Amino acid sequence: MDSGEGPSSVSQPEGTGATKIKLGDTILLRIPSGDIRTLKLEKDSTINLGKFGSFFSNELIDQPYGLAYDITDKKLTVLPPKGLQEVEDTDATNELINDGQAVQPLTVEEIEALKKSGLSASEIIEKQIEQHANFQLKTEYSKEKYKKRKEAKYSKSFSTVIPTLFNVCEYWFNKDPSRLRDIRPDTLSQMLNLASIRPGGRYLAVDDASGVVVAGILDRLGGKGRLITICDVDSPPAYPVVTHMNFSKEFTTPVMSSLNWATADEDYTPVLPSSEPTSGSYKSDAQKTRLNKRKIASNALFQTRDELFNGEFDGLIVASQYDPFSIVQKLFPYLAGSASIVVHSPQVHVLSDLHGKLRDIPGYLGPAITEAFLRRYQVLPGRTHPMMNASGSGGFILHVIKIYDDPNASSVMAHRHKVKKLRAENTSNTGTPTPVQSKTATPSPTVIEDATMTEAEPMKDHSTNATS
Amino acid sequence: MWSTAREVAAGDLVIIWLTRDLAQPLLITPGKELNSKFGVYRHSDLVGIPYGSKVGSRNGKGFIHLLRPTPELWTLALPHRTQILYLADIAFITSWLNIKPGSRVIEAGTGSASFSHSVARTVGATGHVWSYEFHEARAKKAREEFTQHGLDDIITLTHRNVCKDGFTVIDTVDAVFLDLPAPWDAVDHAKKALRTDRVTRICCFSPCMEQVLRTVTALNDAGFTEITMYETLIRPHQVDVVPPLPTIDIIGAQLKQAEARREAKRLRQIANSRQARGEKRKREEPNEEEMPGASTGDQAMDVGAADAADEEMASSHKKSKLSETESLATAVATAAVPSIPAASLESITPTKISLSKAFPEVRGHTSYLTFAVLVPRSTAPDLSEEEEEKASPVLTNRDTAPAESS
Repeated sequence: MDSGEGPSSVSQPEGTGATKIKLGDTILLRIPSGDIRTLKLEKDSTINLGKFGSFFSNELIDQPYGLAYDITDKKLTVLPPKGLQEVEDTDATNELINDGQAVQPLTVEEIEALKKSGLSASEIIEKQIEQHANFQLKTEYSKEKYKKRKEAKYSKSFSTVIPTLFNVCEYWFNKDPSRLRDIRPDTLSQMLNLASIRPGGRYLAVDDASGVVVAGILDRLGGKGRLITICDVDSPPAYPVVTHMNFSKEFTTPVMSSLNWATADEDYTPVLPSSEPTSGSYKSDAQKTRLNKRKIASNALFQTRDELFNGEFDGLIVASQYDPFSIVQKLFPYLAGSASIVVHSPQVHVLSDLHGKLRDIPGYLGPAITEAFLRRYQVLPGRTHPMMNASGSGGFILHVIKIYDDPNASSVMAHRHKVKKLRAENTSNTGTPTPVQSKTATPSPTVIEDATMTEAEPMKDHSTNATS
Repeated sequence: MWSTAREVAAGDLVIIWLTRDLAQPLLITPGKELNSKFGVYRHSDLVGIPYGSKVGSRNGKGFIHLLRPTPELWTLALPHRTQILYLADIAFITSWLNIKPGSRVIEAGTGSASFSHSVARTVGATGHVWSYEFHEARAKKAREEFTQHGLDDIITLTHRNVCKDGFTVIDTVDAVFLDLPAPWDAVDHAKKALRTDRVTRICCFSPCMEQVLRTVTALNDAGFTEITMYETLIRPHQVDVVPPLPTIDIIGAQLKQAEARREAKRLRQIANSRQARGEKRKREEPNEEEMPGASTGDQAMDVGAADAADEEMASSHKKSKLSETESLATAVATAAVPSIPAASLESITPTKISLSKAFPEVRGHTSYLTFAVLVPRSTAPDLSEEEEEKASPVLTNRDTAPAESS
């Protein structure tokens, strides 16, 4: 924790996101089945990928992220990048292929035996194809799919996933969207842009989404600027997503500090154990170090508090399980004029509620709720179509701008409305009723209110219609 | 980039927010006046006012909001020279291409520079953007804009047709964004501009599927991998604050009340007319047979009692005027009884709820975003024929092997 100013010069872009694998990195490995495994890279250990093989951890150190490897005898060979595979169109159809036919005489046991005998994945697959009764009946597309499927089963290979914000967010989202409060990579990127996160900016964040928002802000600050997060625990908050970004300490510590809902309360004085020895002198060196540490921590806390209360932050991002109105109202005083406030929620209800409250309060300009839509396509030659499986929702975003209100400024419309109102009154006095509400598609509140308030007055019409 | 000072100064670019759908850029030039249907403002009066202020018009009618420009506001306010990119696409592309502080990015073409501003903000002073525009007038305009917005250090603008002449840098950038009619013609040039020592990325932005397919082929031929395509949109929601939806209990009670009132009214009318007739008859025929009044009342409460009452009326010429009016009075009293349940009445009083739904009309398509990755060429192994076979074991057809690995 520091006083708030970031380092004067930014480290090389290399520092902001690893391009090479370092010892101690938390890495993501994509295995042939398409799943992703995560592990912390430790020295002189063996990494076991189950049926996809195992290898020595040292093999990965200093490798660039993003390459594919073949595993042989616990050693790695870099695989060339795979291009798209053109498939020749043939006349084959699945006309003659029936479901449920036993087409593969090779049994699981026999395949296991083949594997044990040291046959490579491709050799096993070739054997299976040879034995396959209907393989030649398949379309080329289908053959391709078959090989891909088998390959995913038998090949001993993997690739490392580059820890970009997009990849890390996607990994967490696919693993368990609820831990990210449904923040999908596209939603996250919209939040970061709407909040206008830039290097050197100063931001507030409330992240109960495993730290995905914090990871995003830190990534976009690039080691320069300031981020204060407010959490709901009395110890430094755990932001597990940030771990996967593999930021260096120098990259995050000068930039980020955390408070909680007690220490972020201006009317509250945190209760801290004294950092002065009770007897007036230190009993031991150990005590001295301990008390010094305590002092540094409490100084940092008060500095962060001061910084928050001095305000003028450029933006606020909220992804929290708590009532967003209470959060936004609490932190509103610490935002600068024109600051962006971005609130995410998996439920639109929470945000419409917030919207309904904010729009009546001067100081909040143009609240808007949006939902992100994302569709991914398979673009294989001749086989381009949207993916069969897609995420249902990345949640909803409310964006609003803080302004300094001027209660004396009156709207042009106010003047116009007065004139209109007068006119409207005049026309209604001449006897034309105003059944305007019935035109609106949504159940207009005024109609409902009238119905209940005017004691079944509208029912008269019905009754007269019915009896006459 | 734009001012980060607390207050507006002369020479600043500010965004004037007039309404939710109307924002415009304004270069603060003391001596000038802003004249809009939302009032009259002297630029000099705006100097020294904190960003984010609501400002009233000089004549007291109307107000504006003085906002600090952000690329997102700029996108809403900028002068359109071409079709522009909006938040959903810009944000997604930025994220997929891993553009962040320090990144070096190529953009072609510049167009209305909506994307350029956003990316310049994100890469910051340690990064750089090379922007290319083949339309001379547009390039000139964009250059003026960049200078005015203090982006000269971050963005290098070149007037050039990149499909024909390629880019001005080699082995330099982390990401390339192509918003061109024929991006496939620029793919090979892009490959030369991308740095070879690390994983780099490309995005091609095309509205039509046919363009996507050609782009995919070109990317594949050039050795790009992990080719994928996305479509992203923003669905705006509108919020209505309304009283809680009433329950059918209330409506039911209201209908019952109305029915009772209607019945009471009918009975009253009958009574009135009978009274009138009775008075007439009274004079003629003073003694009458008495009918049980209660039965009249009970029948009045039944559904379809109207018919019965009618019959009764037809045959009750002899009814005593007195008992008739009494029974009608009790009928009126009982008919008025059904009332709205107290509990449901409580629930419909003041508290309001907010309901949201998607806008009826939204943008349905912008463009397809085709992405691909180029792995470091220096680390990719130089494979001999033999090794290649071993490396991609499943490929039976030699022609389908990766065309490029070095």
